[in-house]
Amino acid sequence: MAIAKVAVIGSGVMGGAIAAHAANAGAEVVLLDIVPEGGRNRSALAEGAIERMLKTDPAPFMDRRFAKRIRTGNLDDHLNQLKDVDWIIEAVVEKLEIKQALYRKIEGVRRDGSIVSSNTSTIRLVALTEGLPERLRRDFLITHFFNPPRYMRLLELVAGPSTRRDAIEAINHFCDLSLGKGVIEANDTPGFIANRIGTFWIQVALNEALDSGLPIEEADAVLSRPFGIPKTGVFALMDLVGIDLMPLVGRSLYNAVKEGDAFRAIHREAEPVRRMIEGGLIGRKGKGGFYRLAEHDGKKVKEAIDLKSLAYAKARKPRLECVSVARKGGLPALFEHPEPAGGYAWRVMSRTLAYAAALVPEIAGSIQAVDDAMRLGYNWGQGPFELIDKIGPRWFAERLKADGQTVPSLVARAAESGGFYRVEAGRRVALAPTGSYRPIERPKGVLLLADLRLAAKPLLRNRSASLWDIGDGVAALEFHTKMNALDPDILGLMRQSIELIGAKHKALVIYNEGDNFSAGVNLGLALFAINLGAWPMLEDLVKQGQQTFAALRDAPFPVVGAPSGLALGGGCEVLLHCDAVQAHAESYIGLVETGVGLIPGWGGCRAMLARGLGKKGFGGAMPAISKVFETIGLAKVSRSAFEAMELGFLREGDGITANRDRLLSDAKARALALVPGYKPPPAPTFKLPGKTARVALAIAVKGMSITGKVTAHDQVVAKELAFVLSGGDTDTVDQTTDDSLAKLERAAFMRLLREPKTLARMEHTLDTGKPLRN
Amino acid sequence: MQTYKAPLRDMRFVLHELIDAGQLAKLPGFEEATPDMVDSVLEEGAKLCEEVLLPLNRSGDEHGCTYENGVVRTPPGFKEAYKTFVEGGWLAVSATPDHGGQGLPELLSFVFDEMVCATNLGFGVCPLLSKGAMALLETHGSEQLKKLYLPRLADGRWSGTMCLTEPHCGTDLGLIKTKALPTDRGTYRVSGTKIFISAGEHDMSENIVHLVLAKLPNAPSGTRGISLFLVPKLMPKADGAPGARNGVTCSGIEKKMGIHASATCVLNFEDAEGWLVGEPHGGLRVMFTMMNAARLGVGLQGLGIGEIAYQSAVAYAKERRQGRALAGATEPAQPADPIIVHPDVRRMLLTQRALNEGARALGYLVALNIDLARRHPDADKRLECDEFVQLMTPIVKAFFTDCGSLAANLAVQIHGGHGYIREHGMEQLVRDSRIPQIYEGTNGIQALDLVGRKLGQNYGRLLRRFFHPAEAFVADNKDVAGMAEFIEPLAKGLERLRNATLSLAGRAMADPEEAGAAATDYLKLFALVSVGYMWARMAKVALEKRGEADAFYDTKLKTARFYFSRLMPETGSLFATVMGSKKSLMEMTADEF
Repeated sequence: MAIAKVAVIGSGVMGGAIAAHAANAGAEVVLLDIVPEGGRNRSALAEGAIERMLKTDPAPFMDRRFAKRIRTGNLDDHLNQLKDVDWIIEAVVEKLEIKQALYRKIEGVRRDGSIVSSNTSTIRLVALTEGLPERLRRDFLITHFFNPPRYMRLLELVAGPSTRRDAIEAINHFCDLSLGKGVIEANDTPGFIANRIGTFWIQVALNEALDSGLPIEEADAVLSRPFGIPKTGVFALMDLVGIDLMPLVGRSLYNAVKEGDAFRAIHREAEPVRRMIEGGLIGRKGKGGFYRLAEHDGKKVKEAIDLKSLAYAKARKPRLECVSVARKGGLPALFEHPEPAGGYAWRVMSRTLAYAAALVPEIAGSIQAVDDAMRLGYNWGQGPFELIDKIGPRWFAERLKADGQTVPSLVARAAESGGFYRVEAGRRVALAPTGSYRPIERPKGVLLLADLRLAAKPLLRNRSASLWDIGDGVAALEFHTKMNALDPDILGLMRQSIELIGAKHKALVIYNEGDNFSAGVNLGLALFAINLGAWPMLEDLVKQGQQTFAALRDAPFPVVGAPSGLALGGGCEVLLHCDAVQAHAESYIGLVETGVGLIPGWGGCRAMLARGLGKKGFGGAMPAISKVFETIGLAKVSRSAFEAMELGFLREGDGITANRDRLLSDAKARALALVPGYKPPPAPTFKLPGKTARVALAIAVKGMSITGKVTAHDQVVAKELAFVLSGGDTDTVDQTTDDSLAKLERAAFMRLLREPKTLARMEHTLDTGKPLRN
Repeated sequence: MQTYKAPLRDMRFVLHELIDAGQLAKLPGFEEATPDMVDSVLEEGAKLCEEVLLPLNRSGDEHGCTYENGVVRTPPGFKEAYKTFVEGGWLAVSATPDHGGQGLPELLSFVFDEMVCATNLGFGVCPLLSKGAMALLETHGSEQLKKLYLPRLADGRWSGTMCLTEPHCGTDLGLIKTKALPTDRGTYRVSGTKIFISAGEHDMSENIVHLVLAKLPNAPSGTRGISLFLVPKLMPKADGAPGARNGVTCSGIEKKMGIHASATCVLNFEDAEGWLVGEPHGGLRVMFTMMNAARLGVGLQGLGIGEIAYQSAVAYAKERRQGRALAGATEPAQPADPIIVHPDVRRMLLTQRALNEGARALGYLVALNIDLARRHPDADKRLECDEFVQLMTPIVKAFFTDCGSLAANLAVQIHGGHGYIREHGMEQLVRDSRIPQIYEGTNGIQALDLVGRKLGQNYGRLLRRFFHPAEAFVADNKDVAGMAEFIEPLAKGLERLRNATLSLAGRAMADPEEAGAAATDYLKLFALVSVGYMWARMAKVALEKRGEADAFYDTKLKTARFYFSRLMPETGSLFATVMGSKKSLMEMTADEF
């Protein structure tokens, strides 16, 4: 059953954003809420939600235009709209009676075979469906999204004993392929998987910090990076989530878990937290939280609270020796370090991990479901079982024993047999609750280099990039530098790859599994070379990039780019030279060179110009030139793959994949589809207006400089950009070849490299990650 | 015999014709520092050094300082020389006029220091320390301390010291044990033992002001827990006159290799009363603010020794007659030719000379940048100049002092057996020249500073301050008639240095031991190239001005040729060692040594 029309009931933070994300997936969406009291607009709640979301950052919509895919209304007047909906999602307040009353209302209008799900995070399915008609119970599930639904990849799916298998599959399929979620089937237990463990973790971390008097900065420092957990740790995470939710979530879990559950022993409603909530200190949405940003002499200062006195003081950046010893000596060295933070980390993490281990198979059928849930739902770098493997299961078990803690049987088993995960015959296997190891199965259409790495060696490799055989005659080029920044080694491997593939393979995919496809050229390395005045070397690097990318374009086989995350500067230029792109929906693409006082030097200007001129409408070349000038000049970056298409970084035929794990497989399919009868595109030629275009662009820049939007150095950069885009000293009668335009591009780039203000911009961006407006 | 005439012609050349020191007179507060004024100050200074300090150099070395019951006596004549020195205002050439200084540029003070260190390094130590103490108090002292101490330091009534080293720690100051306990009067009680304290006790000034590193109670461990205290030898009375003895005693002076005229003291602090300078635990940072100037000063000590070594060797080589020139007698009427006819003697003399003149040009340029970094009206320019100083400081300190020691040894060699005996004073230069290579951060530490801290700072921004002007100079002059013989080797040297830097930066990031293994050779490579850059610039000026009646410019060009053909090629072998790995240094176990 295909899902084409979705309804969301409840337009609060979660409901609204789920509706937006369904719209992102291309569904037709209905968003309903109650009629507010006393208002004239009976649909004000849902309508307000859309307006609010158009201003929210990070944006719930991948493209503002997608908001039009949502029809808003209210439950009194528009209930009828549910009658042809495929999937109805309930996202109303966490009160059983209200939810059940709503289900009965829905039951009256929905069509046969439509699916109803709840986004509850605290109520079990068995309670939600109690006393409801069998028709509904067969079509009912829990789909638990994490906030914000567009960006958090976890979706916990809970089915009841009566739920139709095909309903489960339809939702799983839609959430996976269209919403891009990592769907984890969870058992119908309190808090499901991620929040069950996460709530426990937060509670222990708070208890131990209160009891030991450890400053919250140290707690967050030790409970983050060493474990691959986001730097928010625990306290900054609570600020983000909302401290007022803590007692509610804690109480709800306390009441729901069985007698004897370890959470019951640690649950506390801590006095300082109660006082903070009373005082409105509920986190970022309140007057402050465990941390706050205060202003002193016009400067923003981060302050941290003292858990005893509840007074704020300037937040310290703890330098913990236990954290630095962990880099060499591993997590046991951290746990055994005499610093208070070392013992703290042990007390918090040992109990949390042991708790998680004791919950399988109660909450999920496999350890990898638990690990996936913590990775996708809490952004942990590794799940609990992976962490125990990292600590060493034997060491962990013995230390638990020495501590007088119970050793969960699964941990004892892992300690005996050498870990929760192992690699057997090139495949990763996981310890099953039964005690045997089972291969980890990937759904069809999921292809990961991470798996391939265990089974095969790369075809080519240097310290910055590798080339993999991904089967069916397709090779994949992977970058693996920091931020996947481009460097001469990557360019070198690209050229080697082109030669190798020409002989042995049919197509190439450029893809990696980093958070970012590529943040562009290695700016630090470039700046160092500039500071050394290594002009010939730099010019050679520009030339190498131009030639390498041109070779990608001219290769006798199809090349498909498959970005996810940032694809900036040089990273974007790689994509611009591919035959096609299969982009993850969360792709942030842009030519950002002007931000650091440069212009695209590796063919970005030419490729964008060729694309713009290719779809020339009325008015000759000038409108296309102006649009490219604006896109590059303002360093526009798309906030999704859809926006990238509007900005011209992607072409209309390019594909978009919602699920990160399916990107490589989709890209491979796209590449193979291009193989039959493939011929490389001819090198572009241009007819450009030269000086007349420059005059027009200069007037536009001048107009902007009057409004103060353009700085002095922006004008210098804009002038060079205009010089390249206008074709230099030419006019529309002349044909400008790609090569001669490449020379212009290079020369302008080299001139800008010598500008002190460009160097100041580069340095500032390296230090702060932000552009310098000089 | 130790022979020295201040090289005023060469100094003027560098100041006025090469680096345009006249630009300083345009800076606020330096209006008086016109070229004429600078020249006349230097002439006076030269007279003092040649007539008062030089005659005391050998005798000061022979007598040395003496210690008896806590009292240190300087060699005969030193007290009187000190009096002449301070009465002439030479102690406070660059100190602020608000507190008795002359307010002239640092550059001028540095040029004068070169002459002092050439003629009497042992004497020069004490004024150098007073100068350092003044600079430090000016920037970091409280108003009260400034008012009391600065005028008395400036006129030489009181002198200064720097008390850092302790018996168990020198380079690694984080380990110091000296303690400072707060009193209820806002002062501190300082207790501990300091060693190697130059001018820690002597009879030339009526009081001594010690700047002491110590730890406050509960101080953080390591270098972030060190504070700086001012501890006077005699407690100033209400009217400022020196009063009762403070708890500082000198328990002995070191017997040492050179600079015998300077007392190197062991100081015991026992509940000595002191005042905090700067922030609590901020002592090392305070020290570091004057580190660049102090290290540059030590570099110029090396240059001073190099100059007197050269001049003495030239005098001897012209007058000593032995054998005949290889190509036939040059003075057949005499029983033998002077040894200056021999290529190998010339090699030694020219090595001294080319290094001295090159170092002078670079050293003065760095000193000029210290003044620009402090006084230039444009903040960007100030920062740029300061960055140049930061980059060049370890190079000037280590390379100049190595060159000074080399020059002193060459002077002994040229003198033959007469250099080895004491009479001619050459072996004294060898002994004296060893200490600048060691104190104020050993030359090995300088190399680590360059590679470990300066190279990578702000993605190599400090390097820009050298490479960009040097590159621009090469680009602008490669086609200038007559410049090819200088520009080509300079360009080659720059290319080697650039490639070595790129390679080293990459390797050092992955393995700090690689940086450590290459550091000293890398510093020398950098030094030879930067001195080469100064030589090319000097050649440019000389080419433009030659033909004037003055033979100076032709001689300059000849020295430049020597530098580029005989000294610059060493960049090739240095490049090879820098590019090599640490392996051959590190593969041997400690037991195998």
